Amino acid sequence: MKDQLIEIILEVASDLQAEEEIEVDEALQVDTPLFGEGGLLDSMGLVPLAIAVEQAIEERLDAHVSLADEKALSQANSPYRSIGSLAEYAANELTSRVDG
Amino acid sequence: MHVDFLLEVFERNAQRSALVWRGRSFEYGWLLDAYRSWQERLTEEQLPSGSVVSVEADFSPQVVALMLALIERNCVIVPLTSSVEQHKPEFREIAQVEISIEIDAQDNATLNSTRISVDHEILRSLKQRNRPGLVLFSSGSTGKSKASVHDFVPLLEKFKVPRNCFRTITFLLFDHIGGINTLLYNLSNGGCIVTIQDRRPETVCAAIEEHAVELLPTSPTFLNLLLVSEAYKNHDLSSLKLVTYGTEVMPESTLRRFHALFPEIRLLQTYGLSELGIMRSKSRASDSLWVKIGGEGFETRVVDGLLEIRAQSAMLGYLNAESPFTQDGWFKTGDMVEVDGEYMKILGRESEIINVGGEKVYPAEVESVLQTMDGVEDVAVSAEANPISGQIVKARVNLTHEESLTAFRKRMREFCKGKLSRYKIPQKVQIVETSLHGERFKKMRRA
Repeated sequence: MKDQLIEIILEVASDLQAEEEIEVDEALQVDTPLFGEGGLLDSMGLVPLAIAVEQAIEERLDAHVSLADEKALSQANSPYRSIGSLAEYAANELTSRVDG
Repeated sequence: MHVDFLLEVFERNAQRSALVWRGRSFEYGWLLDAYRSWQERLTEEQLPSGSVVSVEADFSPQVVALMLALIERNCVIVPLTSSVEQHKPEFREIAQVEISIEIDAQDNATLNSTRISVDHEILRSLKQRNRPGLVLFSSGSTGKSKASVHDFVPLLEKFKVPRNCFRTITFLLFDHIGGINTLLYNLSNGGCIVTIQDRRPETVCAAIEEHAVELLPTSPTFLNLLLVSEAYKNHDLSSLKLVTYGTEVMPESTLRRFHALFPEIRLLQTYGLSELGIMRSKSRASDSLWVKIGGEGFETRVVDGLLEIRAQSAMLGYLNAESPFTQDGWFKTGDMVEVDGEYMKILGRESEIINVGGEKVYPAEVESVLQTMDGVEDVAVSAEANPISGQIVKARVNLTHEESLTAFRKRMREFCKGKLSRYKIPQKVQIVETSLHGERFKKMRRA
């Protein structure tokens, strides 16, 4: 599932990067920093990315996950560090929901 | 007594058509006879003067005659149309309806006693003063339906000044202040109203063509659906001289497109509220959202960007809510406005403004842009709570063709770029099948 999530996030982030004409040195990949130092997004871009990923997950995986809520914000390690960390957070959220 | 000035118009225009109903024309002479028959019937039925009476029907010749007879009998009229079918029992309770009069599709009436008694202070005071009244329920598009009570006498007053009349479609029903206004305006000037059985663009266009309609009073939502449906292509609308629109904010894009298609038709923005009545208004131009509102009996002021109005024809109060008036009688409309000299531009309801990280977004501005996108039939923009930015902009969309959310979303964000500031572009999109407007063709922004 994590691979699928990475694929979705890469796609959404690339669209956003193109739309907002954010300059990048190389193509986006798993360890591309998203938010914070050297990150792809500023504070105005974070919410649109999180919501777009949520909606893409809903459409393609038919599952609901919150990526822009109190819980995501209060993680000891921010899920928004990189594309990979966001995918990991989303995967954990999705599996814990199935188990619980 | 109250309706004498109308009866004089009826006598002078006895041969002229007052109403077109189900394709048949009814003259003023007919209406006068029907009014007198109703007076007799109400006496026979021993309907007490001053009763609270619901008139449960859609526009019809008998309904018009009955309403006038009820006004003359100092009754309080509670119009309930089929658009509020499921709310009727609740609305009868709130309005303390004593007698319900139902008029069926064949225009036959049945009277029933409800066994409800009247104890609301406002209704009792109307009874004591022998004044006819009117109870109107708000559409509830921004909360619960509120019942406003009017003294009918000041409402009738402004129609005593003769004005030009047009053959008019009754787009707004008679349970709406705009519908009552259309009816009284035409009756007091010997005009003709054309009633319609439903309000699909096709039906409305067919009625305009068949009955040479000159005036269409409607809502921005309907004008947008008319443009999207292209129903106007199948009919000759050349009789139409004037289109008035109100009840909600007009998207600039809809206004411009309509004006470009029909440059000969004058477009006039109206402003009215069930609490205050309809004001006189003048648009700066057919393609302009700037409007001058007021007229005799109305005063306006803007406090902190919000429009306040004091009106002689203001309601007495709500039956089911606190009085919304200030101590000195001003009504806070809740509408945010921009002012330029004598003109103002209505931006939207204060309660519907979306706050994205401290930046204000008016739903109408975003809707106006999205409505010009290919494949978008209708759109409603609202706020959704978000822990990071406080709120986000959410768009619910009806599409004309199937399209995946991902594809639409991408297309939408590209389309909006350069047309809307970044924070105004909807972060969340929902493609929905359900209608985005209510029975009164007013946008329902709450999902």
